[in-house]
This record gives sequence, structure tokens and C-alpha cells, in this order.
Amino acid sequence: MNNYIYNQYMFFKLDSFALIGIDAVKVTIEVHLSRGLPGLYIVGLPGKAINEARQRVRSAILNSGFEFPVKKTIINLSPADMRKEGSLYDLPIALAILAASGQISPDCFNDSCFIGELSLDGNINPVRGLISMVEKAVDLRKKYFFVPAINAEQTSFFKEIDIIACANLKETIEIIDGGNPSGNACRKTCPDISGNNSHEIDLSEVKGQFKAKRAIELAVVGMHNILLIGPPGSGKTMLAKRIVSIMPGLDLEQCIEITKIQSLCNEPVNGIITKRPFKNPHHTISRAGLIGGGMYPRPGDISLAHRGILFLDELSQFPSHLVEDLRQPLENREVIVTRNQMSYCFPSNFMLVLATNPCHCGFWGDNENSCRCTEREIKRFWRNLSGPIMDRIDIRVFVSRLKEEDYINTELGENSRKIRERVGKAAAFQGNNSKGRKIKYNSEADAGLINEWLAGDERLRKTAFMVGKKFKLSARGISSIIKVSRSIADLEGSKNIKEEHVLEAAGYRAIKAYG
Amino acid sequence: MSLKLQAIGRSRHMDRLLKDILHILYDKKIGTAELIKQYRRTGDDIEAAIHYFKTYRRGPGTLKQLAFGGFEKYNKKKDKDGGSARILEYVKKHRPGIMHIGNKDYPTDLLNIFIPPPILYYRGKRPGDKCFNIAIVGSRRCSHYGREVAAYLSKNLSQIGITIVSGLALGIDAAAHREAVKEKGGSMAVLGNGPDIIYPPENRDLHGKIEENGTIITEFAPGIPPLKTNFPIRNRIISGLCKGVIIIEAGERSGAMITGELALKQDREVFAVPGNIFSPGSRGCHRLIKSGAKLIENIDDVLDEFKHLFQYKSRITGEAGDRNNFSGQKRHKSIITAVPKLDPLQSKVFESIGSRPRSFDDIRIDLGLETARLVKILLSLEIKHLIMEDPVNNYCRHE
Repeated sequence: MNNYIYNQYMFFKLDSFALIGIDAVKVTIEVHLSRGLPGLYIVGLPGKAINEARQRVRSAILNSGFEFPVKKTIINLSPADMRKEGSLYDLPIALAILAASGQISPDCFNDSCFIGELSLDGNINPVRGLISMVEKAVDLRKKYFFVPAINAEQTSFFKEIDIIACANLKETIEIIDGGNPSGNACRKTCPDISGNNSHEIDLSEVKGQFKAKRAIELAVVGMHNILLIGPPGSGKTMLAKRIVSIMPGLDLEQCIEITKIQSLCNEPVNGIITKRPFKNPHHTISRAGLIGGGMYPRPGDISLAHRGILFLDELSQFPSHLVEDLRQPLENREVIVTRNQMSYCFPSNFMLVLATNPCHCGFWGDNENSCRCTEREIKRFWRNLSGPIMDRIDIRVFVSRLKEEDYINTELGENSRKIRERVGKAAAFQGNNSKGRKIKYNSEADAGLINEWLAGDERLRKTAFMVGKKFKLSARGISSIIKVSRSIADLEGSKNIKEEHVLEAAGYRAIKAYG
Repeated sequence: MSLKLQAIGRSRHMDRLLKDILHILYDKKIGTAELIKQYRRTGDDIEAAIHYFKTYRRGPGTLKQLAFGGFEKYNKKKDKDGGSARILEYVKKHRPGIMHIGNKDYPTDLLNIFIPPPILYYRGKRPGDKCFNIAIVGSRRCSHYGREVAAYLSKNLSQIGITIVSGLALGIDAAAHREAVKEKGGSMAVLGNGPDIIYPPENRDLHGKIEENGTIITEFAPGIPPLKTNFPIRNRIISGLCKGVIIIEAGERSGAMITGELALKQDREVFAVPGNIFSPGSRGCHRLIKSGAKLIENIDDVLDEFKHLFQYKSRITGEAGDRNNFSGQKRHKSIITAVPKLDPLQSKVFESIGSRPRSFDDIRIDLGLETARLVKILLSLEIKHLIMEDPVNNYCRHE
């Protein structure tokens, strides 16, 4: 803010940001140079990486051709009672020291924020979670945001603030000394999100499996969670991996959301992520890894799969407490992680895809390979899937083993592009049809809405009741069928659910004999 | 008051004979086989046999000790007398039904086998001569087909008042019990462990249902766990209680085959249900058929063998003699009349499905229908009970 030299006590401060979960908060970096034994001290609950910034900042300043003040230098990160971590304060600390020692002119600092990690030669390295911080800066009505050049593209869509890409410390100081940072601002562009429709894999590569393919199409339309059951080698994983390729493209807002979350994780993201994520965690994943957490909470795989797919392969191998942990995020579409008296909220609006064998040996019910499991083993195998989780899975479909002649059959099925167009249309229809309703996807429908769908059609209710009776379904089971039949109706462009839609939907609730 | 009197009367009645038999079996360690041998030698007079053992025999028995079932090993309290006192205590406390070889209502069929159990513990209805029993036994690891067959035969037999006997194991046994307890005939389960243990635990609910409409029966003393050697011993009771034994899905060396062999030795009718010739699970049944067991497809095939008995039995079981009730032809007729109600597409799909399971993909490629439409049609056929889907997404006609 103000740079004043008062009786040889020099003080200066500037603004930066810290991340709390997915949100950013302002952190003010204050520097005080005073007489005393020369040294650099950082206070305000800095993490290990911030303490090490002392060495990086000193080397970077010296290597950029400036002088490191021979004074007792104290740096305070305010608010001082909040823990801070990461290497993102290197650049603001260096600039604050230079400004306090009078080496650069601090005219524009009032309107600016700074973020960046320095390397010893003065180059600026990328940081994590940039978008959240720029958003916060916009809220605070800052004019300029100095970001690492490598990351800059990620934030180029912000219209309200000038993003200044900094490649190294020397260049940054030249821009600041020039007095007109906006002259050096990045061009404001709209990121190219057309790339989100190209996928390396295609659903046409899956041969046969007509029922399963239709089921995943419906699952994508209504964002229904789906369970694929099948013997080993039947193509469950192959199908699951291709679900992303038939999901409709993301809009810019969703892309930003995804990038925001993903850029919080270890690898810095440079541009905007335009593809729907597909997360395929191994069953040895820890609780914090799946749900989110850690000493400084990071999003888990359920949040990294936001707007995409969380695929749990070999479900029975997952510890049951992990599967149970998914209940709340599935319901609320976000997860709240509480650590150190602070709660962090991460969005987790994903489609859950589960795959499992029907039993331990994988051949239960198969006519040619007889199963070697006892009934008890099969029961134990299915115990992981407790009622509450099963209730949230609207579609369950069996993926049968291909026959020999199917492998050599070269005829390709429908390709992903075609299915994606159809799904997109259905999703749009859903949007039009659902004016005034709170939900976005059919799978989110509650009892009241389902009643509304069923109202006025006696035959429909009768069919639903009959189906429920025949397959001994619970109330939840029947409502699942209604939700799926709404998706079928959407796909057909039908305003009302018809009897045939219910009948088809019941066909995807195949699993009667297990567990 | 009257209850108390009854209880006193009952305990007095059972006191002497029961105490003596338990004393001989558990304290003197005379085996079942030896006790029965003496019983036969004395002209089927249990009191004389008991007298013999009490007066002339001191040492333990020499013949195979059938009903002993490892009691000594599992009798952790190490009673001085050998355990008979504690068994009596259990009987007094928990009141399982008890029946011994001197009782008038001891089932005649069972009494006539080679080594009938001297003591039977039971829960539920008291076993007796009043019902006509057929056993249904088979593999624990059965196929979907086997389970369907067991349920089908059991249901139809029970409906006309026949009691289904089986071993309360998983698989075929459970399927047979489950259908039978819902119907008139009820069910009878013969255990391979003491009356105080529920095994296998998966069948706990079934255990309760059988108690309500049928009998749970065992010759093993309270406290005896389900040892694997107990089951072949128990199998002689299953076949012994019945007029005939139906075997569904048995491996070449399985408990069901042992029951079949025992049934032959006991001069019972043996029926076998054929299965898939490639499946190892049906090899036992096929061997039985080859060596003369009757191949059955429905309960008419079973009841044909008991024509001579039914005139006599029908007085007791009422409709059991009236064979028109369960005529197979009638059932087929109902399906034939149902078919014309289908619309052309449905009947096209129905015709493409035979009794051999066929996969969804197969049907779809064959008929060239849209997936969505085919799913719908298959489900509507399924609701009409015309076809059924097995757990692996194959379709076949119902029955």
C-alpha cells in the first residue's frame, strides 16, 4: 500500500491469495526492514515450502541483478492465524522486499495481486488453483493480476481483470517500473472448448453387448448410476471407459469448474480442461484419496470426477466402508471435508459406474464354465453392495461373454458421435420439458416429482405396480424404474412416460437372483 | 394347571424308557447299531433289549456307533455319567419334541430300515404315519435349472398334500423346502447336527418356516455340531422317512447319491431328474437313470409309482388320490390358450425362444429388432410368465 521510509524503518505490503479447499482468500504480505542482525524471517504460520522461500527469493533477487537488503527482514503473512502452504508466495515476497528497499517503484501495487513460485535463476514456475484466486481478485475489484506465464492461458477468459503473464522476475519488474501494466496484459480470449468432442476411443469398438450399450446410453441421458455385472473378459471395463465418449460436450462454465478442481491437485494445469474426466481408482485407494482430505485437504477422486465418470472396477475388492462413503456425495453432489476446525467443500457431481463379476470365480450362472463358488461365498461377495448403495443405482445390466464368432465379426456398431448427438438432444429435451423443476437430471427426481410424472395415467401406474410385484421390488426399486423410463421418454422425445417405457426400464433392472 | 399336569404326565411317560436308552447310548457307550441289533434279536422289543444291556453288558459297544456323532468330544463339561443327564436336562429346559423307538407313533417306514434311530428330537409337528413323504435331495452347488426343478416339483407335490423331506442344506434342499412350506403338505427337514444348532445359518428363516408348517427332525444329541461325518448317517433317515426319493442334480460322488443308494437298500423308489449332459453336476443323476432309476419330468411320473398306495392313502390326505388335480395336460393347455393374445411382434420373439437358454445378443441379431424394443418385448413376455430370464441374461421358455 504505502511505502514510507521512516527513520530508516522500512515497511511495505501487497496482496496475494491462499487456497481453502476450492476457494481462495486474500493474504496480505507485509515486509519490514529494520536494523539488526541481517536475516530473513517469515511469520504468520508458514508451511515448510514457504519457509524455504527464503533461499529461493534471495537467490532469485541476486540472479536477476538486484540487491538483497542487508537488513533484518521480517515478513508477515496476514491473517496470521491461518495456516498457509505452498510455494506460491515467492514472487510477492521478492517484490515486497524490493519495494521496501526502494529498488522498484510501487505505484501500481495497490491495484495488483501477485502469485508465483520463483526458481533460483529468477524464472517463474506455475502454481496450483489459479482460477479460484483470480475469481477472488475480481471480487476484490483488483485491476491487475500477475501470474506465472505458463499458467496464464488458464485465466485468459476473465474479462474484468488484466492478467499479466510473468516469465521471470526481471521482466516482471520491468513491467511494474514501466508504470502501465495493462499494456502488457494478456489478450482476452475465449478458450477453445471444441476439443471436448474428440475421443481416442469409440463405443463402436465394442462388439455385441446391445443391451449394455443401450443401458449406458440411458444412464448418460439421465445421469443414472449404473452397475455392470459380467464374467471376466466380457468387456465391462471397455464399456465403462467409453462412456465418456458418448457424454454431451461441456459448456465453458463447466470446463472452468473442472479446471478449478483439477488444478488443485499435484500437477499444475496449464490450459483449460475441456474433456469430461474419467477416474478409475484402484481398490487400494485410501479414504482421503477417494473422498478428499489430507492435512491440507485436497479433492479426492470423487471430486476429480466432477462432471465426468467415477468408475469402480472390481467393486467387490473395494473395502465396504469406501463404498458406503459414497452415499452422501451421491445424494448431495458435493462433499464436505472437515479438518483442523475448518470445513472444505468440494463439488462432486459425477456419474457412478460400477463393474463386478457375479461371484468370486466369475462364472456364476454360466452354462459352459460352471461356477465353483458356494452359495455362502456368493452372498459374502455381494455383501459389499449394501441396500442404501444399491438403491442409488438405477440401472443394473449384465454384460455377457462374447462368443467366438463375435470376436472375428468385424462389423462395427454405432459410433460414439452418433450416440452423443442423440444423448445431447435428449438432454436438451429434458431441459425444455423440465421448466420450473429444480432438478437437472432425471436421476435426481424425488418422490413428489415421480408422483407428478405418474399422475393422470392409470395404466402407467398399473404397469409399474405389476412390474414391481413380478420382480419383488421395493418402493425405491420402482421409483428407479420410473426415473429410467423418464430418460427413455426423453430419448424418444415423448412428453409423457408411456407404458412401454416402463417395461423397457424394468428390463435394465435385471439383477434378481444375486445376493 | 392342566398344562402342568400334562407336563408331569409326559415327563413320567418318557422318563423310564428314554432315560434307559440315553443311559445305554451315552453312559454305557453302546452304539446305535448294536442297540438296534439287540432290538431286532429280541423280536423288536425295546424293553427286552434295554434289559439285556442293563443286565449283561458292562463294557462299551463294539459295532459302529452311529448316533454318537462325536458327542463325547464336544461335551466340554466332561460329565461323569457320560452325558445322558445333561441331555435330559436340555430336553426338560428347552422342550424339543422327543420320540424314541418304543413309541407307538414312531414312523413305521423309518422303523423298518436297517438301523432306525433310537431317539429322534424334533421341532414342529410330531412325525408319524399320517403323512405321505417324498424326499427331494440334490447338490448344494446347483444350477439355476436345478433350483427351478426342485421348486417346481416340490410345490406341486406339496399342493396335493405330500410332505417334502429334505436335508435343509443350501441349493436344491433349500429350494425344495421353501416351496413346500408354503403349501398344504408342508415339509420335513432332517438335520445333521443337534436340535439346538441352526445350520447352515443362511437357512435360519427357513428353519422357522418349517417349524410352523412341518417338522425339523434329528437323531443327534443337543450340542453335536454339523460334522461332515454326520451327514451320510443322517441321509438314511431322509430316505427312511419316505416312500420315494427324487434326486435333482447330483455330482458323481455326492451326498445326494449316498441318499439314493441308501434308498435302494431300503427298498424305496428312486427318481432322477435329467440335466445337461455336459455339466458335471448332472452326472450322478444320469448314472442313476442308466442303472434303473425312474426318469421323471413332472409329478405324474412320481405318483404313477404309488398308484397302489394311493387308494389307501387318499382317505388320509384327502385330495391326494384325485389325480386330475395335477394333470400335466391341463397346465400345457393354459399356455397354449395364452399365446394368441400376443401381438405379432411379441409372438415372433416368443417363437424364436426355445426351451434352451438363448442370449440377448443372439436373439437381437437373429430378429434384427431394435435393442430398446426387444428389451421391452422380452420383459412383457416375462411378465406374462411365458419366458424367463436366467441370471446371465439368457432367455428361455417357462418350464
